[in-house]
Amino acid sequence: MNYSAWRWPAVTLAVGLFASLSSGCIATGGGDGYDGNVGVGVGYYEPAGVEYGGWGRGYRVGPFRGGDRRAGPGNGRTHAYRSAPASHSAPSIPSRSRAGNSHPTRSR
Amino acid sequence: MNSQRRSNLLGTLARRSLLAALLSVAATGLALAAASQLPPLVEPASQEHHVGKVIFAELVTPDLAAAKQFYGGLFGWTFSDIQSGKAEYAAASLDGHVVAGLIHKDFSTGEHRKPAWLSFIAVRDVDATKNLAVQHGAKVLFTPHSFPDRGREAVLADPQGAVFAVLASSSDDPADVLAEPGEWIWSSLITSDPDAGAAFYQTLFDYEVFDLPADEGAQHLLLATDNYARASANSWPADKTSVHPHWLNYVRVEDADKMAAKAVALGGRILVEPRVDRHGGKVAVIADPAGAAFGLLEWPDTESKEVAQ
Repeated sequence: MNYSAWRWPAVTLAVGLFASLSSGCIATGGGDGYDGNVGVGVGYYEPAGVEYGGWGRGYRVGPFRGGDRRAGPGNGRTHAYRSAPASHSAPSIPSRSRAGNSHPTRSR
Repeated sequence: MNSQRRSNLLGTLARRSLLAALLSVAATGLALAAASQLPPLVEPASQEHHVGKVIFAELVTPDLAAAKQFYGGLFGWTFSDIQSGKAEYAAASLDGHVVAGLIHKDFSTGEHRKPAWLSFIAVRDVDATKNLAVQHGAKVLFTPHSFPDRGREAVLADPQGAVFAVLASSSDDPADVLAEPGEWIWSSLITSDPDAGAAFYQTLFDYEVFDLPADEGAQHLLLATDNYARASANSWPADKTSVHPHWLNYVRVEDADKMAAKAVALGGRILVEPRVDRHGGKVAVIADPAGAAFGLLEWPDTESKEVAQ
């Protein structure tokens, strides 16, 4: 049998298999609301039972832009985190618009 | 002799057919490999790195077409489809800027889980961050993987159970600019122990942590890097007993009431009615038609301000 005649088909098969397998970035996972076996990207689910709402009057989640104040470094209590130094003011979010105004403000 | 020649001819034809078939398989595989590449977060690369900033979000949903219709109708997102085997992925953009990824995944009947948005936080070294997180009580849900053009990412659960992803973007991080309406502008960690949560994330991302005024028994913290607020950490509402620690991302809107009504018209539900928050604008929490939650946050176009202590 002439094995050299099958060399290129064999190489082509190997390339094809490699390309096919690498095309999906397949990964596996599971549990904790996570399932990585989605082919591309990652997959995350919340456990059933997560509830939203019930935010009382003083419940605040957003950044601020003026008028608000820190409760004070550490708020007089001991914390697991390191409080920002008292000399640091609490910052807001970025205010600069995209360079060149190539992304004009829209109404939504 | 004729018989031998015919046999040789058939053999040659068979080999050529096989070669053509294999080349076809290879070409298809390479085409799929190219098609399944996730788009870079930033084009061209920004040359900016903002460790600790939420730079991307992905949604897993059982009805990709419905999700595209909903988010496209609500925010004007457009989508480019990426197919890889059974997986369907839609890259969402707004005016040419990548804003999100949507992944189709069927749900089995009786599954005790629901669709959700996953927050991606910028890091420089995914593997080092993963190791540090594990040392401080995190669980690895998706070991570090590299995705062509996108970067390297991993999914972790913090010690309280909130799930988040870390991403070292191949194209650097989105610039620190004010989000446009329709883009992600803010993120909140809503958790059982904001104090411990802030300490954990401070270890990973070197956040400055600011303690903000809160009702008695609640704790509201601000997490900042590069002198910009990146996220809040909040204790969960006192009257909620059946919650699970989670990250919640907010899209910038100019009118939360109008957008909440529009979300309902598109098949969504209001989970938290529009309400005035600390910045003076309104926030709301919406569930998309499949139940995935996200926030709306009004932010007028005037300049953000720093607050002197």
